[in-house]
Amino acid sequence: MSATSIFIILVSSILVNNFVLSRFLGICPFLGVSKQVETALGMGMAVTFVMAMAALITYIVQIAILVPLGLEYLQTIAFILVIASLVQFVEMVIEKISPTLYQSLGVFLPLITTNCAVLGLAILNIQMKLNVLEAVIHAIGAAIGFALAIVLFAAIRERLELYNVPEVFKGFPIALITASLMSLAFMGFAGMV
Amino acid sequence: MKLGRIFTRGLVFDNPVFVQLLGMCPALAVTNSAENGMAMGLATTAVLLGSNLVISIIKGFIPSKIRIPAFIVVIATFVTMVGMIMKAYFPALDAALGLFIPLIVVNCLILARAESFASKSTPFNSIVDGIGMGLGFTVALTILGIVREFFGAGSIFGFAFMGEFFQPATIMTMPPGAFLALGLLLAIYNKITSKELNEL
Amino acid sequence: MREVIKLGLILLVITSVAAFVLGVTNEMTSSIIEERLHRENVEAIKSILPIAEEFNPIEGEGITDKELIVEVYEGIKDDEVVGYTVKTNPNGYSGTVEVLVGFSVDGEIVGVKIGQHTETPGLGSKIADSAYIGQFFNKAVDLGFSTTKDVPATDNDIQAITGATVSSDAVVDGINAAGSLFEEVLRNR
Repeated sequence: MSATSIFIILVSSILVNNFVLSRFLGICPFLGVSKQVETALGMGMAVTFVMAMAALITYIVQIAILVPLGLEYLQTIAFILVIASLVQFVEMVIEKISPTLYQSLGVFLPLITTNCAVLGLAILNIQMKLNVLEAVIHAIGAAIGFALAIVLFAAIRERLELYNVPEVFKGFPIALITASLMSLAFMGFAGMV
Repeated sequence: MKLGRIFTRGLVFDNPVFVQLLGMCPALAVTNSAENGMAMGLATTAVLLGSNLVISIIKGFIPSKIRIPAFIVVIATFVTMVGMIMKAYFPALDAALGLFIPLIVVNCLILARAESFASKSTPFNSIVDGIGMGLGFTVALTILGIVREFFGAGSIFGFAFMGEFFQPATIMTMPPGAFLALGLLLAIYNKITSKELNEL
Repeated sequence: MREVIKLGLILLVITSVAAFVLGVTNEMTSSIIEERLHRENVEAIKSILPIAEEFNPIEGEGITDKELIVEVYEGIKDDEVVGYTVKTNPNGYSGTVEVLVGFSVDGEIVGVKIGQHTETPGLGSKIADSAYIGQFFNKAVDLGFSTTKDVPATDNDIQAITGATVSSDAVVDGINAAGSLFEEVLRNR
């Protein structure tokens, strides 16, 4: 695998096919945990960590267990259980190793199980027939794209707080319209790769 | 709680999309046409009905420590079944909804209903709740699909009835249009409900 | 410790019931799904090479491992090879586009079909319209097509869809890949 194809996968997953703004994966945390840049950054980091590990483990589960046994139809159930246990495991490890890190990331970890970006990524990796290295790179790119979108969005929302928004648009409506403009901006990257 | 109340709560007052803002990923992703939105809503309703029913039946056997993984297994089972059935009998819809069929598993709406309603209620009430919430979700997705398809392609459920003069804004069927349409619909919903509240 | 075992056993029971139910559903639906996929595939390749009555897959080195090539069939009528169908998966504006092309033994294109794609509805999706793919018909598959935004001057110019040059390029890429496969391998069979 050449450096260019690594680069293409990264650019494609961060900008062109941004998980949040063009694939609509991970919208719940994108809308829910984006009121402040600091918490958005924490969420982004937690997701990056879990996504990279989940991509690797679900890939191994698919290749080493599901395919040889002809059980591909159990993919959804197997992947979601792997992700749920992984999140639990990561939470316990971080709590033991670094209480400070746990303080900053801990609250986000349980939310990640139902972040459809993680399961979506695991299924996409198999669908796109990536190899193991490509799958992990795709995961890192997707997670960076998620973090980028959520941090930018939080920064805009922080400033929106200061403005006088019409009553009916307060809260989610204006947030969604902001997201719409961001998504429009990201469409400029389409067709790049 | 009265049955009618359980039912209308999901459909209107506690609408999963417009009020609770649950299940946003499929609500935005697959509503580029009215048909896709409705299909996604019905697939989700089917899963919700199944999981609500089973969870309300087995709730007595599941210790609270492992209830979340147990719920997830039940939900994932129904999602996989719905996926297989759609692949076999509705291939066109399956292709249109694609990745978002397996992702029904992580639709927060379903786990939320399992946790906050089905695990505490009788099977019958859980079914009613499932139908109400499911239809509320379906209606919301269909409305979103209708709005986006109308402005984006000039048709509704595939029927083009606008004359030649109507220039559809394709952007509405693309990702930015999804965010924009939902944002505006939420504002309209707020406007209507706040007026009603003021009059009360 | 005993509690852990008990919890584990309960989860085991739930997952085994789930696996059993899914196994049964899979048993019931998988043959229907496979049959449908097979039928759709056969229908698709028949529609782009109507003269052939039977189709045999061609596989192996230098064919299915070539870039963009997914599937190759030879079409047979009266025990003689009358043409080929090639399925390719070039990159479009958003994701890959399935391009199927059918051509006679001497390389004349008789059919083009766009399969699954995720191009922009109303713009890139126009690559599936006969107005666009019709441009390839009755031309040599190995002509080396290129996309132009103006009115086509030569035979190998294909006019792009306005506002969807990338999607148009994808189709040209797919057909050119089939063209080089024909030139390098199929012509000399």
